[in-house]
Order: sequence, then structure tokens, then C-alpha cells
Amino acid sequence: MSNGALHAARTGLDAQNTRMQVIANNLANVNTVGFKRDRAKFETLAYQAIVTPGSPSAGDSKYAIGLNLGTGVQVAGTARIDTQGSLTTTSNSLDVAIEGAGYFQVQTPDGQTAYTRAGDFSLSAEGTIVTSDGLPIIPQIQIPDGASAITIGADGTVSATITGQTEVTELGRIETARFLNAAGLQAIGNNLLLETQSSGAPQVGAAGTEGHGSLRSGALEASNVNVVEELVDMIETQRAYEVNSKMIQSTDEMMRNATQQL
Amino acid sequence: MDRLIYSSLTAMRGAMARQTATANNIANAQTPGFRADIAKAEALWLRGAPVESRAMARESVVAADMKAGTIVKTGRDLDIAFEGDALLAVQAENGDEAYTRRGDLQISPAGLLTTGDGTPVLGSGGPIILPPADSVAIDPEGRITIVPQGGDAAQPQEIARLKLASPVGSDVVKGLDGVFRVRGGGVLPDDPGAGLIARSLEGSNVNATTALVDMIEASRSWDTQLKLISDARDMDAATADLMRLPQ
Repeated sequence: MSNGALHAARTGLDAQNTRMQVIANNLANVNTVGFKRDRAKFETLAYQAIVTPGSPSAGDSKYAIGLNLGTGVQVAGTARIDTQGSLTTTSNSLDVAIEGAGYFQVQTPDGQTAYTRAGDFSLSAEGTIVTSDGLPIIPQIQIPDGASAITIGADGTVSATITGQTEVTELGRIETARFLNAAGLQAIGNNLLLETQSSGAPQVGAAGTEGHGSLRSGALEASNVNVVEELVDMIETQRAYEVNSKMIQSTDEMMRNATQQL
Repeated sequence: MDRLIYSSLTAMRGAMARQTATANNIANAQTPGFRADIAKAEALWLRGAPVESRAMARESVVAADMKAGTIVKTGRDLDIAFEGDALLAVQAENGDEAYTRRGDLQISPAGLLTTGDGTPVLGSGGPIILPPADSVAIDPEGRITIVPQGGDAAQPQEIARLKLASPVGSDVVKGLDGVFRVRGGGVLPDDPGAGLIARSLEGSNVNATTALVDMIEASRSWDTQLKLISDARDMDAATADLMRLPQ
């Protein structure tokens, strides 16, 4: 025996549960460098026409209004909210934050290019600039042995003083990639995002030009998760879950009364 | 007795339909721009009998509640909330012009501007395709401006205007796909005075308290009708008892 009210309420419970997972993930990443919060996208499921307006009711008369009953809700996906996170100064010369649009390019172990907003770079044993997970950035930048006073300019130029030289040597330039629809990038974990058909092809360029955000060295972009906002969402989700379970309880009671009394 | 139980049965069907409509409202308490459905029963009098004492109950969803929902600032460029009772024109699945209050816009892989559930948004000149752009903004009058790829950020270009319509004086109804249409066909005129709030989102207008009261009411009404049916059964049994011949 299938009951529309029970099923609509069940879809509500499922959707609230998914939303809670999204909120939990946002909150868990409140201190993740460069993290962008997700939002669960709710979508109404199709309506069912129980009585169609205009269909004959009795004799010559017709129903003026219909009975369209909804079948519930679903979470169609998550939308990444790409607002700028606040910048925190770290004074570490290899920490870089992007102010504005753009992503750092990173080479994954399987040779793919991934994109990230997390600029907490460090040096590998071989002297290449790598992410906190040890993945080299693209284009690869090598810091020679004995180099000191590494600086990264707003346009991405990496320079350092090399032992025995008085002049500052330019070692390379960090480029950033932009996307027409950055919301379409696919998150794969470890702060990394992958290009998809929806995001469009990356437009690689120097930081601070043609819409690419400029770089700020010695700073990190904090996550854009607002704890208070997430907590309010959490309360809202919890209450909505409760109301949906009340609905199931009430409908169940109706059915029980019917089976017991008749 | 048969008449009594059939009248009660129609009322029970109605109570369950109302319960389903309420369940759907509650399930969509978090869907952006959702408008609650209002279910009402009407009496359907059975004519012709010597005493017109019987009326069947018929449940119907009379309309959607068009009260505004709560507007929350989100900071996302493509989130918009509508002021007053303005509706956003969209293209329904069957190609009709339909209307919605849902304002979490997104860009499809092909560059088409759609609402959060994938319904294409209509501008004054039909569906809106966004060219490659450095940034997209929507102003309070519904004009979409972009900074073209590599263009000057200080000189945004207007590429389209969202069609905002006012439902005042027209009868709009929610279809099976959840978007609004003018009853009997037709389109709403573009309302140049309509406005929107950028970087904000309007929530669902489902009121949890009202929904819970509706739910209790429907379940009590169901129980009352059940009682009537079981009383009818008792009366019938008592009649049968009276008629039994003494042994």
C-alpha cells in the first residue's frame, strides 16, 4: 500500500539529511585554506494530477479546479559558492593568496592538471614549489640550492637571491587559470578541482591581467565558510527534518486508526 | 448505511489528499522560491433525491499561497530575489512561457542561463545565452551586465534584461512541473517597474506551524470520518440484531 503523504515526507527527510551532510562538510572545512562552501540545491519533484481541471465531474458539469498533488523534494546537486575568502597574513614567503578570480594549476600524480585556491606552498626535496600535498605547480618552478629571500610578486613572478650574486634572479612565474563557469568545476578532494564540460576550458594567464586576480604573497585565503550562517542552516535543517518526521508519524497514525477501527 | 459510509469515504479521501499536499509543502520547506499549495474541500450536493441531505466532499488544490518568503543575503553573483509579487519568466519543458519565484540562477555548459532546477530563464528577447565573460552581474532592474573576456572591468556591457512580470489582475496557476502559468493560456506582460534584490535568495514560503496545524486537522478529520463509518457499522449490526427472530 503506497501513500503519497508518506512518500512526500520521506523525500523531505532524505533531502534534509543530504543538506545536513553538506553543512557538516562545510563546517569541517572551516579552517581549510582556499575552501569554498557548498549549498545543497533543492528541487521540487513532479506534481501528479489526481483530478484534471476541465474533466467531466458528473453529467454535463466539469471540474473547475483540479487536484494536483506534489510528490516531494530532492537535492539535485550542490552549488559551490565562489565568494572570496578573507586573507590572513602568515609572513611565510611561499604562502600565496589569490585576490579575485583564478586558480593555481597543479599536476596530479596521474599527469592531469587540477586547480586549487589553496596557496600554502612549500619546497620539495628537489627544490620545486609544491602544494601541501607535494604536488608540483604548473608551470614548474625550481628554486636552486642556496637561494634565499624568495619573493612572489603580485603578477606571480618568483625571484630569489642566489648565493654569490648581488642581483635578484627571476626564477619563474606562477600562472593562474580562469574559467567561464567556475561553479562547474568538479571537486575531487585534497583542495583540488577538475575541469569539466560545464566549467569550460581554462584560460591561463599572468596574475593581475585580463580578469585574473592578483597574487598576495605572505598571505593565505581562508575558507569562505561562515560558522554562524552554517549553524543557522543546521538548526533550520534539523527543524525541517523534525517536521517531516512528524508528518510520517501523523500519516502512520491515520493508517493505523483505519486498520484498527474498520 | 451505505449512503453514510460513502459520504464519509469521500471525506476520508479528501483528508488524505490534504495530508499529501501538506506533506509536499513540508518537504519543500527549503526549496528556493517554492510556493505552498492550498488544499480545500468543497461540498458536492447530490441533487434529485427526495431529501437533499447528502453532500460529497471533494478535495482540490485551489491555488498556491503567493505570500513572499524570507529573503536571505547569499553573496553569490547569480542569486536574485524578487521584490513585491514580481515573477521571473522561464521556459517550461513544453516550450511555454511560464513563471517562477526561484532565483538561484546558474549557467549551463552551453552558456544558457537557467534557474537552479535547470529551467531556462527568459529575457525580453527569449532565452539568454551568456558569452564568455570575466564577470556577470544582475542589477536591481533585472539587467544582466557582463565584463567581456579580457574587457575593461570598469565598462560592463548590458547583454540582456530578465523578463519580470507582474501577476496582478491575472490568474496564475501552478502546473504539474511546478512553474506558474496563466490559467487558460497566454503570457503576462513585461513589468518595467518590477525590481529584484541582487545576491540574495528568497526561501520557500511554507510556514512550518501552519503546515503542522493543517496536518493535525487532516488527521483528526480522517479519524472523525473513521468513527462515523464504524458507528454506521454498529448501527447496521444493531438493526440486524433487532430483526433476528426469537428462537
